[in-house]
Amino acid sequence: MTDNSSQSDGTAPDIETDGGVQTSRRNVNYLDAQINIFKPATPFMRDHLKIVWMMFVAWTIIVFGPVTATFLAPDLMTSITILGFPLHYLLTAMGAPSGALILSFIYARKRDQLDDKYGIDHSTKQAAPDTETVAPDGGAEQ
Amino acid sequence: MTFTPLQLLPDALNASFKIIPAAMVSGMLLLFLGIGYAFRVADTEDLWVAGRSIGNVENGMAIGANWMSAASYLGMAALIALSGYYGLAFVVGWSTGYFVLLIFMAAQMRRFGKYTAPDFVGDRFNSDTARAIGALTTILIGFVYSVGQARGMGLVGIYVFGGDYATMVILMMGITVGYLALSGMLGATKNMAVQYVILIVAFLAGLYAVGYTQGYSTFLPQVEYGALLGQLNTEFTEPFSGTSYFLWIATAFSLIVGTCGLPHVLVRFYTVESERTARWSTVWGLFFICLLYLSAPAFAAFGTDLYANNVGSVYGANGMSGAEGDVIVVLASQLANLPTWFVGLVAAGGIAAAIATTAGLFIAASSAAAHDIYTNIINPDATQRQQLLVGRSTIIVLGAIVTVTALDPPALVGELVALAFSLAGLVLFPMFFLGLWWENANRQGALAGMTTGLLIWTAAVFNELILATESGPLVPIYAEVFPAVGAALVGTPIVFAITIGVSMATSEPPERIKQIVRQCHSPKPMGQQQSAEDIVDAKSGHSPADD
Repeated sequence: MTDNSSQSDGTAPDIETDGGVQTSRRNVNYLDAQINIFKPATPFMRDHLKIVWMMFVAWTIIVFGPVTATFLAPDLMTSITILGFPLHYLLTAMGAPSGALILSFIYARKRDQLDDKYGIDHSTKQAAPDTETVAPDGGAEQ
Repeated sequence: MTFTPLQLLPDALNASFKIIPAAMVSGMLLLFLGIGYAFRVADTEDLWVAGRSIGNVENGMAIGANWMSAASYLGMAALIALSGYYGLAFVVGWSTGYFVLLIFMAAQMRRFGKYTAPDFVGDRFNSDTARAIGALTTILIGFVYSVGQARGMGLVGIYVFGGDYATMVILMMGITVGYLALSGMLGATKNMAVQYVILIVAFLAGLYAVGYTQGYSTFLPQVEYGALLGQLNTEFTEPFSGTSYFLWIATAFSLIVGTCGLPHVLVRFYTVESERTARWSTVWGLFFICLLYLSAPAFAAFGTDLYANNVGSVYGANGMSGAEGDVIVVLASQLANLPTWFVGLVAAGGIAAAIATTAGLFIAASSAAAHDIYTNIINPDATQRQQLLVGRSTIIVLGAIVTVTALDPPALVGELVALAFSLAGLVLFPMFFLGLWWENANRQGALAGMTTGLLIWTAAVFNELILATESGPLVPIYAEVFPAVGAALVGTPIVFAITIGVSMATSEPPERIKQIVRQCHSPKPMGQQQSAEDIVDAKSGHSPADD
């Protein structure tokens, strides 16, 4: 991947020297990898955004598809009935909310798998963080 | 949709003092006060973010209760009953937005790890002006949104306690403000889980009882109401009869981006223990929300049929009034001849829903005032005691203003709440989204974008609600493009474009800010109490830079 200096407005080049090193993903310095939703700079962000965009497209179709279909072909959508529901009503009132719920579940599962792949541990029992850094904020400890 | 002055009282509702429902509702309110007292807080960390200790399901329930306001419990069924297919735009917008929040923002927000939504805006864009605009928007959202809640509480209150609308609004708001000023976010979060259980049990029990006793349904009213749709007036299902396709999309879009910009929703991600919890609690939250959102259309259908059979025609000049629509859930239970105590239970659920959401909104607004405006801008040396004092005073003052406005509200509960969503979608959502996903978004861009968003929204509200005449909005063409409840469809892309354009034309943000943004997307674990800023400052070893 050629991922340095590819942004439109020419950032200083020194910030992304190792953003695309794929062989040693543990060594990626994430504080140096540029954040741009269209040009992910690290393997982790590339993998993550692939999931995000795929699912976002599915979501758009589920949410705005039925009402648009109803607008384009009103007779067809209102004349088909399933369980007494006109098709447009069924897809909008039940399809969209439950579709979004199912997609959310799939996303959270995929994201957990991605965390496994990158060895991310979310256990909150890790050592207490450096209290010096949070002290100005009130410093409440567990 | 036109905003005509509302009739305040629902005619068909049997408003009088009822001893058993009154005892039930009073008991419930005492329980909230008790929980608030048991979990009362003395420090700001607990007041704003509950010590960052909340887990998956509990936060999911809190998301659900925080979310499901009088607008969901009462207002949505009203919109579906009164506006037909257009009402479904609210079902879709208020539920599916959580997915966008989940994939683009929940975990990143948790990693950013500050206290309030304006905190994010102020620190990300390194500007106290941006922080102040964010804080004022938060307070404005809390105000507009709560007016809808106060109206819902008042309407349901008169069913239980009788009396007049004004007394009920004042009484209910008094209780909400009282327990909030006492307990803060930790008490509110503990309460929200309880409130969720009450509201969902009450709503589903009401739906099942009405469906079963009236012969509409048996085991799954959420699906069985389909059989009834053919018998209702065609207004109930006919697409785009009164409202256009554009307005439908505009409304749904506004509610979706508004979901992702609402400060009291975002702060729920600061209260959880880890970013994984932030994600899964969103899934749980959406599940809990869907339980109600898949049921509301069924309740609306039953209510509409019962109204048509028992009271009179639903649509047309002498049809159901807005006030009647706003209590259709309670009204349906009453028209189904269910026992008084049972209708009281349904009413109590509505009150729980309204209180939970008002609590979340007021906490967000008070932290905006105390933390973002007072401590960060006015008095950087503020003690916790002073902060708590400012926070509590804000809750009380805001409560008073909301109460007064709710005595003569300009629109239906659901519509009032939708206004708050289009404000959040216009002003805050673009800042959150660009702030998290484009490191070159800078201060000048954020200021220009937020100002534009505020102007678009203010103009839409003045045009359609405040300066509108009998014949309609002041400037009809503006209302066509920027309908007040759906101004975000055209407005949000404009705000995005301005923010991006101005950011590109001006200098890039400092390296430190960029690193904080990068830290939000890094897969490396962080400590429970750490924010992205802490990590960056610890690594670079220098104190916060100013530019």
